[in-house]
Amino acid sequence: MLSVADLHAYYGRAHILQGVSFALGAGEVLVVLGRNGAGKSTTMKSLIGLVRPRGGEIVFGGQQVAGWEPHRIARAGLGYVPEERRIFADLSVMENLEVGRQPPREGLEPWTEARLFALFPNLGRMRARAGGRMSGGEQQMLAIARTLMGNPRAILLDEPSEGLSPLIVEQMAHAILALKQAGVAVLLAEQNFHFAARVADRAVVLESGRIVWEGTMEALLADEAARAAHLQV
Amino acid sequence: MTFVLLQLLTGLAGASALFLVSAGLTVIFGVTRVVNFSHGSLYMLGAYVAWTVLGHLPRDPGGFLLGVLATALILAAVGAVLEVALLRRIYRAPELLQLLATFGVVLMVQDAAQWIWGAEDLPLPRPPWMRGFVVLGGERFPLYDLWLIAAGPVVLGALWLLLHRTRWGTLVRAATADREMVAALGVDQRKLFTGVFALGAGLAGLGGALALPDGTANLTLDLSVITDAFVIVVVGGLGSLPGAYLASVLIGVLQAIGIVFVPKATLVLVFVVMAATLVARPHGLLGRAGATAREAEAPPLVLPAPVVLRWAGLAALLVLAAAPFAVGPFALSVLTEAMIALLFAASLHFMMGPGGMPSFGHAAWFGLGAYAAALASTALGAAFPLALLLAPLAAGLVAALFGWFVVRLSGVYLAMLTLAFAQIVWAVAFQWSGITGGDNGILSVWPPAALTDPRRFYWLVLAVCAGGAMLLRHVLYAPFGVSLRAARDSALRAEAIGLPTAKLRLLAFAIAGAAAGLAGGLSVFSKGSVFPTAASLGRSVDALLMVLLGGVQTISGPLVGALVYTGLYDALLRATDWWRLVLGAAIVALVLAFPEGIAGAAQRAWRRS
Repeated sequence: MLSVADLHAYYGRAHILQGVSFALGAGEVLVVLGRNGAGKSTTMKSLIGLVRPRGGEIVFGGQQVAGWEPHRIARAGLGYVPEERRIFADLSVMENLEVGRQPPREGLEPWTEARLFALFPNLGRMRARAGGRMSGGEQQMLAIARTLMGNPRAILLDEPSEGLSPLIVEQMAHAILALKQAGVAVLLAEQNFHFAARVADRAVVLESGRIVWEGTMEALLADEAARAAHLQV
Repeated sequence: MTFVLLQLLTGLAGASALFLVSAGLTVIFGVTRVVNFSHGSLYMLGAYVAWTVLGHLPRDPGGFLLGVLATALILAAVGAVLEVALLRRIYRAPELLQLLATFGVVLMVQDAAQWIWGAEDLPLPRPPWMRGFVVLGGERFPLYDLWLIAAGPVVLGALWLLLHRTRWGTLVRAATADREMVAALGVDQRKLFTGVFALGAGLAGLGGALALPDGTANLTLDLSVITDAFVIVVVGGLGSLPGAYLASVLIGVLQAIGIVFVPKATLVLVFVVMAATLVARPHGLLGRAGATAREAEAPPLVLPAPVVLRWAGLAALLVLAAAPFAVGPFALSVLTEAMIALLFAASLHFMMGPGGMPSFGHAAWFGLGAYAAALASTALGAAFPLALLLAPLAAGLVAALFGWFVVRLSGVYLAMLTLAFAQIVWAVAFQWSGITGGDNGILSVWPPAALTDPRRFYWLVLAVCAGGAMLLRHVLYAPFGVSLRAARDSALRAEAIGLPTAKLRLLAFAIAGAAAGLAGGLSVFSKGSVFPTAASLGRSVDALLMVLLGGVQTISGPLVGALVYTGLYDALLRATDWWRLVLGAAIVALVLAFPEGIAGAAQRAWRRS
């Protein structure tokens, strides 16, 4: 579905991603773990095209998309939910969803407002509310729902659990598993190991812009030494 | 009382056209973050195109309506072409370069319009239906103006519906807030931007067409309208349509009433209102904080020049000092002008680069200095040294006063406010003919006998200007300059370590104003006269061109830019009548080719090698 080979990305002169490679299978949940500054968000931004990679390949749905404009990558079926959520503060919930709307995609049941409100019942109760007047958890739900309106085949979720209450984190986990059920592949960037362990099938661990560990979630749960070396603060 | 009422209605009618222009400006800015200087030119083109189109249509209300709408569509198409050909390529460029590129378009459109329609003012012959009037309190009021008054709210309502009730409008509002996110959601920004630009241009064209029956199509519409539109957008709040309408009404009525009571000070009146608004609400009546915020990229470090460049500078200085022995009187006068330009450019660079305050009206200080020196020497009979000393004093003092407003703003607001202030200085010089001589200027202001030899005067100018520029450079590396740059890069952090950022900026603004005033004072004695053009927009743009040509992020850049520009400009003026077209095209080409300036590009090449 999505495969990345030897990806290099820079912020100005800083070499952030130094040859990242991994693959996300159809209907899979893959988590990118790593400490602050490891390059998780940069990986996500490079994949959607907001950061232009300076080297390497990104193949999505059989197409080489590295260097494409973000809107073309999004239209090809790759959804992106940024870490800061980036809700349009002046737009209502319904209008935020409208911005994300793209035509249905073959082989996927199209996401409608009704289906999204079933997934995130909170949103259905505040359709006219301005995005800027929602809580962090509600904004996170809206950010995911907005991206789903584009009927993506795969979705990039950048730290969806960050700053949320345990109750909302639980809802997020539930939603991610529901996405997997619906056939949407999920690439998750996380620092919250327990949240990741709850939803992910496989994991890669980033450190200083390189992949230092790769394997199934069970294997990572069993490998205490790797967790101590790469994840504990 | 009736009289005031009629003036009020006249003002409201004028406000509608102003609103149409400002609405376009504000919508375009909201989405593309580009301040479109050429917006006034689109308005002017609207007036001209309407003049031509209406001449071919039946002279009845239906024909008029059709012609006006056709004009709006034609201008929308022009706007779309402009966006695709130029603006699309400079969305990532620094905002001042964008302003400059669109100013290049202003120059080109001026010559193009003169070439197509000629230099004469073109009035629209009013058909009988348009000459109708209503009687209000015994006075006649044109019926057409009543329709015009209605046009403002109608367009405001239509725009509101477009932006809030259509998918396209929702996308536009989303892109106004966060265009990157909109792109990441699969929306093609380019189409959206082209559409928005076409809408804005169409509105400007509509404004020009609707205002035509009350005036003429002429070549000065562009700059007068863009100045008004900037003021309105600043007063109303950048990005707010209702704000633009409110401010249009305020300014329109103020102008109509002001012209009766203080006919010579309408612009000053407008400025006072703008200043009062900005003091009470720094982001305009209905604007919001953050609307102007643009992801600021840390500017590259200004480092002392490498040794080679210092030697080159010294060599250049020696060559310049020896020049009078080698060149004729004409070349010497060009060199004198170039030295004055050098100090002028260095002073603008001082506040723009290290000070972080982009000014679009730097000519204000040049003009103030020039008039101060000229008046001191003619009206007060002051001796040459005293008159010359008064130039930087007066300019610096006024800059310190005006700076109180300026240092509270940033970015585009600041550029617009400085532009408006310069227009006011120009207007005072132009309108207050009892003191300034108006358009005729002040003549016969010559240096004393000891300096009548052009070579001696040149050496004085060289010493003052090169010395001034070096002093400005010195200040940048002094603790004051370092603090100033800290305040520019992060006002909040600078405050947190105890730097008084507002005071630092104010002082920098006053210093830059004084240096520009000194340049202005010297220019008076160099030419023996001063005219309102000393404070004109063209002069401000000259300075900007020099700085930006050279590159804001280098100290030597503006100096190189000043010399290159003075030479080019002089050659151009003598070579062609269509110098605006050539200059405008050159500006656009330079911005497209060197978004970081000539010296900036050279510095980059140097570092690479």
